[in-house]
Amino acid sequence: MTFSLTMSPSDLLLLLPEILLTCWLCVVLIVDFSFPRLPKEQLAYLSIAGLVGTLGCLAWFDISGISGTLFANMFVVDRMALFFKMFVVGATILVILASMEFVHRFKFFRGEYYFLVVMSALGMMFMASANDLLSVFVTLEFSTFGFYVLVSYLREDVASNEAGLKFFILGVFAAGLLAYGISLVYGETGKLVFSDMKSAQATPGLIIGFLLIFGALGFKIGAVPFHSWIPDTYHGSPTPVTAFLSIAPKGAAFAILLRMFFVALATFKPTWVLLLVAASILSMTYGNIVAIAQKNIKRLLAYSGIAQVGNVLIGLAAGTKMGNDAILFYLLTYLFANLGAFAIVIAVSQAIGSEEIDDYSGLGRRSPFLAFSMLIFLLSLAGVPPLAGFIGKLYIFVAAIKEGLYTLITVGLINIVISMYYYLIVVKKMYITEPHDPSPLAVSGPMKAVVYIGLAGTLIIGVYPQPVIDWVVAATMMFSDLAGPAAALPTVPPVVSSGG
Amino acid sequence: MLEQLQSTFPILSCLLFFPLAGAAVLWLFDDEDMVRTSALTISLVELALAIFVLVRFVPDSAAMQFVEQVRWIPALGISYHLAVDGISVLFVGLTAFLTVLVVIYSWDTIRHQTKLYMMSLLALETTTMGVFVSLDLILFFVFWELMLIPSYFLIKLWGGGAERHYAALKYVLYTLLGSVFMLVGIALLDINYHSYAALHHLDTSYSFDLLELLAVPIPLNQQILIFWLMFLGFAFKAPVFPFHTWLPDALLEGPIGMAVVLAGLKLGTFGFIRFSIPLLPEASKSPTVVSVVMVLGLAAIVYGAIMALIQPDFRRLLAYSSVSHLGFVVVGLFALNYQGLQGSLLTMINLGFSTAGLFFIAGFLYTRQQTTQMAAFGGMAKYTPLLATFFLLIGLASIGLPGTNGFVGEFLILLGTFKAHWLYGAIAVTGVITGAAYFLWYYERAMLGPVGKAVRESIGDLHLREMVIALSLSIMILWIGLYPAPFLHMMNGSVQALVDRLDRGTVATVDTERQEAGGQGQEEKDRQAGDSAAGAVPLAARPLPLAVN
Repeated sequence: MTFSLTMSPSDLLLLLPEILLTCWLCVVLIVDFSFPRLPKEQLAYLSIAGLVGTLGCLAWFDISGISGTLFANMFVVDRMALFFKMFVVGATILVILASMEFVHRFKFFRGEYYFLVVMSALGMMFMASANDLLSVFVTLEFSTFGFYVLVSYLREDVASNEAGLKFFILGVFAAGLLAYGISLVYGETGKLVFSDMKSAQATPGLIIGFLLIFGALGFKIGAVPFHSWIPDTYHGSPTPVTAFLSIAPKGAAFAILLRMFFVALATFKPTWVLLLVAASILSMTYGNIVAIAQKNIKRLLAYSGIAQVGNVLIGLAAGTKMGNDAILFYLLTYLFANLGAFAIVIAVSQAIGSEEIDDYSGLGRRSPFLAFSMLIFLLSLAGVPPLAGFIGKLYIFVAAIKEGLYTLITVGLINIVISMYYYLIVVKKMYITEPHDPSPLAVSGPMKAVVYIGLAGTLIIGVYPQPVIDWVVAATMMFSDLAGPAAALPTVPPVVSSGG
Repeated sequence: MLEQLQSTFPILSCLLFFPLAGAAVLWLFDDEDMVRTSALTISLVELALAIFVLVRFVPDSAAMQFVEQVRWIPALGISYHLAVDGISVLFVGLTAFLTVLVVIYSWDTIRHQTKLYMMSLLALETTTMGVFVSLDLILFFVFWELMLIPSYFLIKLWGGGAERHYAALKYVLYTLLGSVFMLVGIALLDINYHSYAALHHLDTSYSFDLLELLAVPIPLNQQILIFWLMFLGFAFKAPVFPFHTWLPDALLEGPIGMAVVLAGLKLGTFGFIRFSIPLLPEASKSPTVVSVVMVLGLAAIVYGAIMALIQPDFRRLLAYSSVSHLGFVVVGLFALNYQGLQGSLLTMINLGFSTAGLFFIAGFLYTRQQTTQMAAFGGMAKYTPLLATFFLLIGLASIGLPGTNGFVGEFLILLGTFKAHWLYGAIAVTGVITGAAYFLWYYERAMLGPVGKAVRESIGDLHLREMVIALSLSIMILWIGLYPAPFLHMMNGSVQALVDRLDRGTVATVDTERQEAGGQGQEEKDRQAGDSAAGAVPLAARPLPLAVN
């Protein structure tokens, strides 16, 4: 395979958001080194400015319909890639806002923290565009690299170090699986680009190869049985990093999963649907049941995150365009509710220095604003109407019912009830239990901004989801060939003929 | 397809969101008296709006009236579609009426966090209104689920019992369990519509709209599956025996105001008559479904009555009597004839006055003795003659004495049930007898006979606010009991349409529709029907199969 390294200006244009962010990253680093006395808040705002610029650039691409491929199909820019890039950048902005106060807990390298966060975001933007197995490997490792450092950023804290070590060892293991899987697939097919693999035969090597790749991506999204790193890592990491880890890499990894399953493996759909159904059922059930017993809010959100990924996998298992729309939509609702909930965890831990659910007692009295927002976020995660989470779940379930995945739906529904139980435990603590210490809590400005954005997203998407639905439907247009046969051949038993 | 009457002013939206807006306004006040007065004003204005709807409602018509429809999420076929017809209009009035009474009752019985309580109560009113006026199944589901949030807080924060935390969680989880199954049923209806629409090239590819779903045939095996899924949702909420175990806990542990709403507004059985029976007529008629549901209903009647007989606590007694009465409603509904349906609908309204009224009485008793246990009472009539009188009147209505509202409803149900099968009727009648027994027995022990040890002379009769509650309930009870015609006229048209729908079934309905449409698309026709009826032309009154007075 030969790469042509001549790039025209129009090729460079496709890379513009990434180039922009890379340059900005250098600016942030240089400013940090050149002005050591500069308050680190300024660096945060500087990073946010760059991210907002990138977001604007991505939005411009999306609106004006700029798309194409680069580097012999390794890098693709289409509306789905743009969706996930905006998703990642949006999440990063919120995470940086939520970190600004927390950063004071770090004894060293406060400036580099922002650099590392934005660098991971850059890696994930590349992930969203990865279109062949090599770029999958490179971008995945690129984005994880920043996280290895971020997770153990609290250097004095044993839990954080433990989290970092666990994440690193398992992460490297997953990278090994990925590399091995890629080598098998390449050995069997001689191809690297997803779209070239359409006609591949199901040889044992290919199957094992893809299973290994799925394992590595499953590690990224935290689906059972590749979840074992999640609870400890989430628990030990600095909370803003946990928040970042719980949403952005999942989004980027789903971009790769969607491309892999629907482009490279489209012909094997009946087989991989079973795999996904199993992973989905295990994730939902395991995540929800274990979450009940948690005493620490970060661990609770970690397990609830595993369960939520199970929900998203329902959409993937549906294997239709509608299922993919639902995945994108669901991830977006999850972004707002989950980051909102983590923002409140950060705010509370900043104020009272604890992340135990017990210490949320009487939050309703101590800070009505935080408690009410948490209520909204938890209810959205549980899927209570008319919040965004409900529409997301409905969308996914309708897509799955249409494909007749009744077992999966039944398990999913029972899991909703289970999840309601532990979300209500937190609600009960906040509103019913008397506070140990009734003094009001102070919330910083940037934190309020994150919570307000989360609330706005959760409520607006819940009440008026149509524009977002239009957006995700347009973003997955590349899968419209999946919608064709599904719409023409009704999957439910045909209705009784009405005469004529 | 039912006709639709549009109104120029979005009265139902006002009705729906006024209490919620009111709750938001309450947030601004700090003074407790101010909060109470405002809550009362808001609920009274809401009642006035509801009465306006009732007065402007065209009786004897099957048409959907005061229709408001806006596309909400077109991609999934979800719309914001509100309307009332003969089935739902009375519930709208009942909800507004009961909320006013609950606000009055809570005036001095709620002593802490009054503002939050009133806000929850008004939010609850919005959600229950939403359940009654939504024609889109997802919109309906939204309100159905949202109800849980204020209910949870009401039971948990203002409940009197020690087990209130358990009761609140049990209520939420049970209802949620039922409603997730219902959601699958709803989604299946949507998918069925989708495949029909794809085959017949309709404009909309997905729809959750009741009226659009009614126009689509559903194969019998699917209907039965959907029926049972939706049945679970409604049965948990109603609650139908054997899904009733949360009810005694919630009613006993929760505050009286919540008990009034839970026991007075029969949301679950409303769901049957609003959605299950019209959407799934063939399934509702199928022998297995009818016999299973009938057996559950009859079991509820007998079981509830017997359990009520042995309860020493008045609120528990009322909870089981509620289960028994719901059995009546279910039996009447699944007799699937005109009298049965009409009687059930009327009984649902009646229970809103009588059962809810008895809960108010229980509240009056509780205010006086801090308990509703039998042991705390005895010979009360001596010191509280007014309380005893109203207690008797409302109680007699609940057991269906002629001249009260309970009689009309129960009589129609029994008539319908006997028409369906004599055996069903015969078993149902035993419930009436046991019902009289448990009420009168309790009444005799509590109110008459020797004065109990715990009863002091200074116990105090009804004061003004309590009088207002008791009197307004009594007026409604006697009005419906002596002159039910206006109420029956309101529901007749829709009940008749429902009976026709049951006779013809889904497939036949579609056939005739198509002939009438003469080649036009289904959608087109609906729009025309809506437009032509926009002037609110009263429909010809239908002949009433049952002569009223």
